[in-house]
Amino acid sequence: MILIQSIIDGLRDIKDHFGRTMLQLTGIILGAASIVATFSLSVAGKAASMEYYKVSGGIQKIWIWNQPTGKVTLDAKALASKGLTFADAQDIKAQCPDIDLVSPVSSQGMTISYQKVEKPHDVMGILPAYSPMNDVHVTNGRFISDQDVQSAARVVVLGSERAEEFFSTDNPVGKTLIIGGTGYTVVGVQDEKYFSFDQKRNVMRWMNKQMYIPITTMMTRKGEAVSQGKVSVMNARMKDVKRHKDATEQIEGVLQRNHGVKDFQVLSRVANLKRNEANNKMYDMTFMICGVISLIVGGIVVMNIQLASFNERIREVGTRKAVGASPAQIFFQFLAESVLVSIFGGFLGLFVGRLFTQGITSLIKQPAIVTPSTLINALIFAAGTGLVFGMYPAIRASRLNPIEALRTE
Amino acid sequence: MSALPEYEYDEPETAKALIQLESVTKTYDSGENAVQALRGVDVAIEKGEFVAVIGPSGSGKSTLMHILGCLDTPSSGKYWLDGEDVAEMTNRSLARVRNQKIGFVFQTFNLLPRATILKNVELPLLYAGLRSGDRREQAMEALKRVGIDNRAKHRPNELSGGQRQRVAIARALVNNPSLILADEPTGNLDQKTGWEIIDIFRELASHDETIVLVTHDPAIANTTQRRIKIVDGLIETGE
Repeated sequence: MILIQSIIDGLRDIKDHFGRTMLQLTGIILGAASIVATFSLSVAGKAASMEYYKVSGGIQKIWIWNQPTGKVTLDAKALASKGLTFADAQDIKAQCPDIDLVSPVSSQGMTISYQKVEKPHDVMGILPAYSPMNDVHVTNGRFISDQDVQSAARVVVLGSERAEEFFSTDNPVGKTLIIGGTGYTVVGVQDEKYFSFDQKRNVMRWMNKQMYIPITTMMTRKGEAVSQGKVSVMNARMKDVKRHKDATEQIEGVLQRNHGVKDFQVLSRVANLKRNEANNKMYDMTFMICGVISLIVGGIVVMNIQLASFNERIREVGTRKAVGASPAQIFFQFLAESVLVSIFGGFLGLFVGRLFTQGITSLIKQPAIVTPSTLINALIFAAGTGLVFGMYPAIRASRLNPIEALRTE
Repeated sequence: MSALPEYEYDEPETAKALIQLESVTKTYDSGENAVQALRGVDVAIEKGEFVAVIGPSGSGKSTLMHILGCLDTPSSGKYWLDGEDVAEMTNRSLARVRNQKIGFVFQTFNLLPRATILKNVELPLLYAGLRSGDRREQAMEALKRVGIDNRAKHRPNELSGGQRQRVAIARALVNNPSLILADEPTGNLDQKTGWEIIDIFRELASHDETIVLVTHDPAIANTTQRRIKIVDGLIETGE
């Protein structure tokens, strides 16, 4: 009952002293606004990262590189190690229970020509696993198949830019491309990959410049026995992100056994992500602290003005007490007013924050996502400020001696 | 049971009056020198009495009013109001007594400037915890009793002084108090309006309301049934 009346009184107070209220609320508005802006940008940043991870193969992705060891004394097996091989890939696939996909890559620079166009480019020898591993899709034609790998077929799949480069607007599928002096049938064109953090630069563009042939074909070309064929880089996919440590350890175990020396590096994206998360948290914290500081300053202003208005309301408090308001009722009435005014400020802050994010978005092309929880957080912080800083004026009002209060002019 | 006839006879004698003060003192401790505002006051006021409290300024008149109105407690002595010992109550209990048993009328009206007349009169009922429908109904009734119900939606600054004092009286009446305390209620009004307000009090007194009115105007004091004169912290004439 009294709470409802206090809310009505509080709203009337806002209306009657609109200018003063707005002044009082500047800090709270800006505080809530910066919280909204921070959260929105941070949420959007995280969403963009997640999206990027998805188009680049998901967070289950593990990289395996050659990394020559720095050790001087090597035993026979270590000296015999040639780095990552196709056999390693097969062993990882067979022996690591937490791994479900392995995609070794063997690259080489070759001369590519079609009719009069002739250019040097890197060509990648891959397995069909490359497609799910790297979120590669082919609508025009098909990707490299298991059969292609088994028969070391002379087939090639082109990135969209390569297709354009050699075939312009013609459909390349079915045509023959000369790679390193040998004819390869184009069986598919990879769909264009696009991802941008800033709506300007396509960070996945490099993938549109790739050319894929079966890894067996590549090794045959290089004159290597397939199982001993050198692999420049390998990707593996773990089944369960939660078991990322086991997954990397299993791979390391297999490679260590095969090579007898640690001439490789295994890095999981999850580990990477954790590092990034720590960084993100620091950014979030920094902005949050700014928001909280402006809320605290806002709270102090609220308290000041509440105390100032309190002085002109002493008589009113006296009257209320004379007609029977208990100290607790006066306390809650004042507190309700501060909280209400602050929530009002919080609401305005939501709109200002929305403007902030729009401004930032259009200035630095940083996307922003405003989620309901962001808005609720900002409101809770604003209301909390009113609660904390409304406490002191409310206590003072509740303790006022009614006789002295009534005597005040 | 029939063995206790004396007890049945005795009881009305020991029962308290509506207001009963026994050797009440009030000392204000202002630093070095303590000021004794009341120096042993005995007062009994029966239900339905219309009493004027008179006395020069500084006589302890206001202090007596504050104690009667439960805005303050005595330094020593006893005060029974409507059978309740209020002399040593906590602030919270005093607030409840003020809310349920006392109606104040002040010299300066003390209406809330930003609330409507109706909301002003509803105020005691709000703190009593009544529902809004009941509050409105009772407040309108009180406004009718003082003949100002046609102004319920106005704000105090839209009313004349006399009208404002009527509103204040309605607010004092609204919770059916045991006691109405009026502190110089005509002090800020012209003579004609002042008498109109006094007429309202006389009208209420004729309907068995208990009213204690503080005034320095002998003419007004003479219209009441009884006068209590207080001088220098002591009752000089208690009829």
